[in-house]
Amino acid sequence: MALRARDVSIRFGGVLAVDNMSLDVEPHEIVGLIGPNGAGKTTFINCLSGAYVPQSGKATWKEADLLGRQPHELIRRGVVRTFQNVASLHDLTVLDVVKLGQAVRHGNPMRQLRDMLRSERARDAELIRTILQPLRLAEVAHQPIQSLSYGMRKAVDLARALAAQPQILLLDEPVAGLTAQEGAMMSRVIRDVRDRVGCAVVMVEHKMDVVNATCDRIVVMASGARIFEGSAAQVQSDPSVRRVYLGEP
Amino acid sequence: MLMFTLQLLVAGIATGSVYALIALGIVLIYKCSGVVNFAQGAFVMLGAYLTYGLVKLGLPAYVALLGAMILMAGCGMASERLVLRPMMKAPLVAVMTVTLGMLILMKAVCLAIWGPDQLAFPRLFPDGAVDVFGIFVTYNYLAAFVLSICLSVGFLAFYQLTPIGLMQRCTADNPRAALAIGIHTSNQISLAWSMSAALAGIGGALLASLNGLSLGLADIGLVAFPVIVLGGLTSLTGALVAGLLLGVLQALTDGLLTPVAEQFLRTYTSIYSAGALQQVVPYALLVVVLLVRPEGIFGQRGTERL
Ligand SMILES: Nc1ncnc2c1ncn2[C@@H]1O[C@H](COP(=O)(O)OP(=O)(O)OP(=O)(O)O)[C@@H](O)[C@H]1O
Ligand SMILES: [Mg+2]
Repeated sequence: MALRARDVSIRFGGVLAVDNMSLDVEPHEIVGLIGPNGAGKTTFINCLSGAYVPQSGKATWKEADLLGRQPHELIRRGVVRTFQNVASLHDLTVLDVVKLGQAVRHGNPMRQLRDMLRSERARDAELIRTILQPLRLAEVAHQPIQSLSYGMRKAVDLARALAAQPQILLLDEPVAGLTAQEGAMMSRVIRDVRDRVGCAVVMVEHKMDVVNATCDRIVVMASGARIFEGSAAQVQSDPSVRRVYLGEP
Repeated sequence: MLMFTLQLLVAGIATGSVYALIALGIVLIYKCSGVVNFAQGAFVMLGAYLTYGLVKLGLPAYVALLGAMILMAGCGMASERLVLRPMMKAPLVAVMTVTLGMLILMKAVCLAIWGPDQLAFPRLFPDGAVDVFGIFVTYNYLAAFVLSICLSVGFLAFYQLTPIGLMQRCTADNPRAALAIGIHTSNQISLAWSMSAALAGIGGALLASLNGLSLGLADIGLVAFPVIVLGGLTSLTGALVAGLLLGVLQALTDGLLTPVAEQFLRTYTSIYSAGALQQVVPYALLVVVLLVRPEGIFGQRGTERL
């Protein structure tokens, strides 16, 4: 078992944002996490990635405890996330952001030393070729991210996460607000990463066509709790899922 | 007259480059933690006294200088860890007031150890001067200038080109985002404080080698603030340019304006001295610049994050 989260709960004042949520993800697996607005998907990801400390529950990644650790510790263990709302960074270029992704991963001094000895240019070229090229960001590598379209900034966020060499990738709505073309590209890159490095992926997303095309398995959340799990077809035909989405009693 | 002006210019540029070094540190801290560090002047003073102390212990001047720089880096880190980190959640105004307290404390410590009198600072650089087209540039001025510029450029290269510099810039740009993407932001802030204190410490030793060693060195902090506001607070290049500009203006005021002003005062009033005129210049300049460009010379409009 790669990721194993059990009975994770977090409350904000009167709101029980995540309510005894459990999730297992195998290596090589892409799990879609869906649910209506406010279901607690982002909050759950925040708990797993170190942004929030849940009040109860347990989560392990390859037997190591995740909860209560800081993001920078988790990233060194390969737990990497992207964001629903990409943060605004004024001064940095696309390549800078990708380098940051790489820099936060390596606590390993030997590797840092080796990187330092290689020429800056060779390192940049490699990052552009391996990470920016597939996301069609190579041409804008030296532009400030502030100058990019929303879709491109989402792609930069994914690029940063990939540069951190994730073992488990937590994606929060990677294709929301993107054009169909951009969405298809992101989906392709996500599957490709899984195929190449074998990392596990949890993908929060509302766009069902992308979820169906990308994910191996789908977990449905509502009001902070997990209500269903199954294949795309099962999810679509399940009455309890229809109920939470359509608001039927 | 021209020669005299050029001579003043040389002195001004040398002092100004040291101001720039000190201002760089203030901007560095401001950028990544939003705190205007009023204790920077105390770091300057302490750096000079530590260099003095290490020389008195028998170390060679350069070793003492290096040792003081390392001690100052430690001092900056300790200030951040022991004083500022516990105040992480406090309002910025409270934090800044505490840095003012640190200034007073460090001054008191130096007063207790080294006394109130001006001390003869050990000679860091050989006596003598080079003659550049008839302008005499003493080795002291030359060394202060060259060392400050090298350190400033080296620091900027570090900041712009290395992965750690990149983490510094990201923390400065958006601390919350930096934290979320896995940067250990509190370590970055510690690093900023220690680099800033080290730069200030070297600056202090250089200023002391130019003007002598006394507690008054801490007042340099008061000059540094107009410098960084002029530079635009968040711009490292701005700090460099404004530091140089201020050094030159002070030297020219001291050499040209003060005598004229004193002449005038003596003729028409019974006041004999306009001695501290060069201390007023930075603030006069500040008022003028802020009236014209409230965001400073190099500041961007709307970068204020407070
Ligand atoms: N920091 C917080 N403080 C207070 N309430 C919060 C906080 N974070 C989340 N919540 C609440 O938790 C609930 C779940 O929010 P969350 O953002 O996790 O939903 P989501 O499933 O990601 O929704 P969406 O699909 O709209 O992104 C909401 O009611 C939200 O208001
Ligand atoms: Mg969300």
